Amino acid sequence: MKPSQRLNEPMGLLIDRNKPVQFKFENQLVSGYAGDSIASALIANQSWLMSRSFKYHRPRGPLTMAGQDANTLIQLGGEPNVLADRQNISQDIQVRGQNYNGSLENDKDAVLGYFGRFMPVGFYYRSFFKPLGAWKKWEGVIRDKAGLGVLDLNFKPEYYDKKYLFADLVVVGSGPAGLAAALKAADAGATVILVEEQTILGGSLTYNRFDIEGKKAQTLRHELLTRVTEHPNIQVMTDAVCNAWFTDNYLPVIQGKRMYKIRAKECILASGAYEQHVVFRNNDLPGVIMCSAATRLIKHYAVKPGNKAVVLTGNDEGYYTALDLLEQGIEVAAIVDMRAQAQDPILFASVAEKGISIKQGATVYEALATKGNKHIKGVDIRQITGKGQVADTAELIDCDLLCMSAGFMPAYQILCQAGAKLSYDDAAAEFNLSGLPAHLYIAGSVNGIYSLDAVLKDGEKAASEALNSLGLSTEPVADVNCDKKVNYDWPIFSHPKGKDFVDYDEDLQAKDIVNATRLGYRDIQLVKRFSTVGMGPSQGRHSALPTARLVANATDRSVTETGVTTARPPFAPEKLAHLAGRIFDPYQRTPMHYRHLELGAKMIPAGHWQRPAYYGGAGERDKCIQLEADHVRNKVGLIDVSTLGGIELRGPDAAEFMNRIYTFGFLKQPVGKTRYAVLTNEHGVVIDDGVACRIADDHFYVTATTSGVTRVYREMTKWNAMWRLDVDILNVTSAFSAVNLAGPDSRKVLEKLAPEFDASADAFPYLAYRETNIQGIPARLLRVGFVGELGYEIHVPAQYGEALWDLIMQAGKAFQIKPFGVETQRLLRLEKGHIIVSQDTDGMSHPGELSLGWAVNRKKPFFVGCRSVDIMMAKPMKRKLVGFRLPADSAKPEEGHLVIEQGEVTGNITSCEYSPAVKAIIGMAFAGIEQSEPGSKIGIRVDGKMLQAEVVSLPFYDPKNSRQEL
Amino acid sequence: MNMSDTQPSLKRSLLYRTTTGEHYKQQDGGMLVAQFSANDAEQAKRCGLLDLSVARRTGLRGKNAPSVLSEHLPGMANTSVIQANFAEQLSTGEWVLRLGKTEYWVLSSLTGTNASLDALDQAASQTADCYPLYCQSSHAWFVLTGDYISEVMAKLCAVDLNERVFPVGKIAQTSVARVNAIVVKQTYQGIPAFSILSDSSSAEYLWLAILDAMQEFNGQAIGADVLTV
Repeated sequence: MKPSQRLNEPMGLLIDRNKPVQFKFENQLVSGYAGDSIASALIANQSWLMSRSFKYHRPRGPLTMAGQDANTLIQLGGEPNVLADRQNISQDIQVRGQNYNGSLENDKDAVLGYFGRFMPVGFYYRSFFKPLGAWKKWEGVIRDKAGLGVLDLNFKPEYYDKKYLFADLVVVGSGPAGLAAALKAADAGATVILVEEQTILGGSLTYNRFDIEGKKAQTLRHELLTRVTEHPNIQVMTDAVCNAWFTDNYLPVIQGKRMYKIRAKECILASGAYEQHVVFRNNDLPGVIMCSAATRLIKHYAVKPGNKAVVLTGNDEGYYTALDLLEQGIEVAAIVDMRAQAQDPILFASVAEKGISIKQGATVYEALATKGNKHIKGVDIRQITGKGQVADTAELIDCDLLCMSAGFMPAYQILCQAGAKLSYDDAAAEFNLSGLPAHLYIAGSVNGIYSLDAVLKDGEKAASEALNSLGLSTEPVADVNCDKKVNYDWPIFSHPKGKDFVDYDEDLQAKDIVNATRLGYRDIQLVKRFSTVGMGPSQGRHSALPTARLVANATDRSVTETGVTTARPPFAPEKLAHLAGRIFDPYQRTPMHYRHLELGAKMIPAGHWQRPAYYGGAGERDKCIQLEADHVRNKVGLIDVSTLGGIELRGPDAAEFMNRIYTFGFLKQPVGKTRYAVLTNEHGVVIDDGVACRIADDHFYVTATTSGVTRVYREMTKWNAMWRLDVDILNVTSAFSAVNLAGPDSRKVLEKLAPEFDASADAFPYLAYRETNIQGIPARLLRVGFVGELGYEIHVPAQYGEALWDLIMQAGKAFQIKPFGVETQRLLRLEKGHIIVSQDTDGMSHPGELSLGWAVNRKKPFFVGCRSVDIMMAKPMKRKLVGFRLPADSAKPEEGHLVIEQGEVTGNITSCEYSPAVKAIIGMAFAGIEQSEPGSKIGIRVDGKMLQAEVVSLPFYDPKNSRQEL
Repeated sequence: MNMSDTQPSLKRSLLYRTTTGEHYKQQDGGMLVAQFSANDAEQAKRCGLLDLSVARRTGLRGKNAPSVLSEHLPGMANTSVIQANFAEQLSTGEWVLRLGKTEYWVLSSLTGTNASLDALDQAASQTADCYPLYCQSSHAWFVLTGDYISEVMAKLCAVDLNERVFPVGKIAQTSVARVNAIVVKQTYQGIPAFSILSDSSSAEYLWLAILDAMQEFNGQAIGADVLTV
């Protein structure tokens, strides 16, 4: 690595010469300054080779110095595909090139370039797909040859997050147009966010030369920046990429490890234009760069890009570049102007006066390379004789730097995402944009305005339009015109030996594009997919325009008719970490959650909740469940049922509402009683169930399933929006915490817990509802029988939930109370033949299939789904939910296993568990109607083997319900 | 010291195991952090978060809710009509939140006896077309204080809560860190604050999510005394 050489100040806007930084590139120590990009530091050390190309492994160096091309993709530590001209250096980073076999300097696969004729566009699509399965073998080889960097699989995730921002106006791009727009809008009172991709404001003012003297840009930038940075209404975001546009000016902006989601009332895109390359042989050699790349190296980083330069241009910008080079002591061997004459005669004369040779109507036909194509060493210059044609005679000039500018392409991607239309102007040989959505404006070079004064006016014009829309101004908006022509109409000079690259990312040459059209891919979208043009990391920033021109020419259409390929978000590569950000994954806890953990519960998810499955180790599931079930059957157990949904219905029409929404009759439900409530949808399908408590004539408290309560509440409010009954509906799920105290000794525990409450069977019979006070805690008591034992659901305000648990456990000590979990509850209710909606039902289960006909009141005039229930229950049933049993030593079917009869699937297992009470494997399953009668056999396929289970009548346990009605 | 190390009362915030502090105090039948550290006052001005879930609040809705409110909440006498999605602090210290056409919540002043809220509950349960709400139990109550509250909320919530467009008294019924929440702009002792009322079962999740968002601004938990002393 040669020693770093820097130009004198004021060159080097971005670097801090007082802060030297060292890092390693390909294990070689490189010195730079804070603010240097990896690319600028390397070039300052005369190291241009940064990576290799994707297909031919050609040496590549920076093209734009603005992160707009894929030539600088490097491996930064464990992170592949980092842009060396965007990534700043920091002390001791380890950087490597990409896409090489061996070493970057001596790539064994560089030989692939000699076999280019055997690797035409799409060759691998056509070569490696036969015989069947061949692609699988070739894919690895091809991917290996391509390189693509290396992932660090030991990478530890870092902290990324997201944040919302709000403004009246967002201005994307802080070039002269963006600065002028932001200032005008802010002066009028609008709040403005100014988004800039680079680390400093100013855009082209930081590197471009807008006058012969070279002072205008610096003076103007200083003036505008002073005002912008001091303006209270302007929030500046640098090093921030606006990566898309979504409806209503919803803009994702990535800055560092954060994605900002900006909501703006108005948006101005002053995103500039991409300088375009000239297509000629070896236009990819290191040392062949855009004019703007040369001036960025000089002005941003104080790096001298070469000693002897040639400028190839199709506009006057090349002349300004020549002046910049000359000022910094770089010999300009020639300006090669593809045009017959320059547009600005004063500029032309000024450059000519400096003694620079100007070759008009000429082009570089080939860049000549040093050994191994490592750098440019000269150019072959020819006179242009026609569209893409050159003379036979050549002039050779030695040089180590070629700066080129074929013109500019507006940064159209985000605008086209927003719905703008790209049209090609043949006279100006450039694309322009129209058809923007409301509240989105463009200004500056993206709008085809290039002269500095006009650019400033165009920025102000866009601001005026935004201000008028915001109601902050009423001033008339005048059009801005600019006659500066920056595009040369055919900067494509194909060479018989090729390597005249249209798309650097994919090593696509001019003939590749033309050949794609000859193979029948005439549409630009098909050309893209066949050739992969524009599909690389630079996303067509430089290839879209020459491709459109080549396809139009080859298919005898206009460029407007040909168009460009669709631009989709994101505008620039973004990390998955940015999309994921800080993950919000809400969870819910019952008030007793930590008590369950203290008791050693195995927790399982139930929607956003965590519930105890059972209390014990994960490897002791069956044992724990059976012990807990046995304890509930013989003593007393306690389960947290706080996750149950709860809905309150209050008002004069509460009973009428209940009667309409649920299948049962509720008009005559006595106060102080509970009733089973089944909810069907309009298709007659059972979608939820619960227990309805009538607290007063005009007051019901109804439970719903844990996962179903949100839907039930939504359905209720939806229906009442139509019925307009006088009822207040309130989701109180989180307001109440609840437990089920169950078992033969549960009454004793309750009596000890609330001595003043009469819990006798007469005073508080089965299915009754009562309210009491448990040691200072207001409580609602429901006598339920879900697990088939004497039991009480106790509902209390949530903030007392943990205290209630503690009090019950304390009161129950004398009766050896034990907690039991959800899995145990599932076994207990299975023994009783009680269904769980959504576990024992599916999206087609009507009350008849579930034997819930008893819970449907056929006499009342209406309930939601009644017509459908009638129709379905009138039809012959094809399946039914049945109970089955298998011997204890049989293989145990799992939920979801198929019920098969004579080779046909007739149903599936919905619940199955070993029952210590029944001493058999019991379960419920949908079975064909022919097999649904008790005593029938159903075939169940378990792990490929068929079992024959006996259909039995439900429930399995305590068929007379004597235990729960104690 | 963790609150779970103290003698717990029957009424507990669902967050009480997560919150720590130097001093605790009884508030409306429950315990809350009175002082997190000696630096609470400075922290509150910068970026602080406290859990007021045990503090008294109530809610009512229905056609007769406005009349019950004006009859039984003395501070309402001097108050003009509150618009929907706006809140107002009464001369008696309570904050009245109007969440809909006929829905009101009342947050206690944190200093009084709350007799008026008890009377309000009593009246609501005895008045036709007026239904008490269970916001004391169904919702946790956090207060986010200090100069960075809008910045913190911008990391959690899609609504613009900047002072410019969200002045004191404004309410947003929105999603905070993907949990439904009611956000009220207030001031306590001249310190800008958001009251965040959100599903009590998600209290622990939301508390940790807000604290995480506060880290960037050196935010941390504070005690309730800074709001009243």
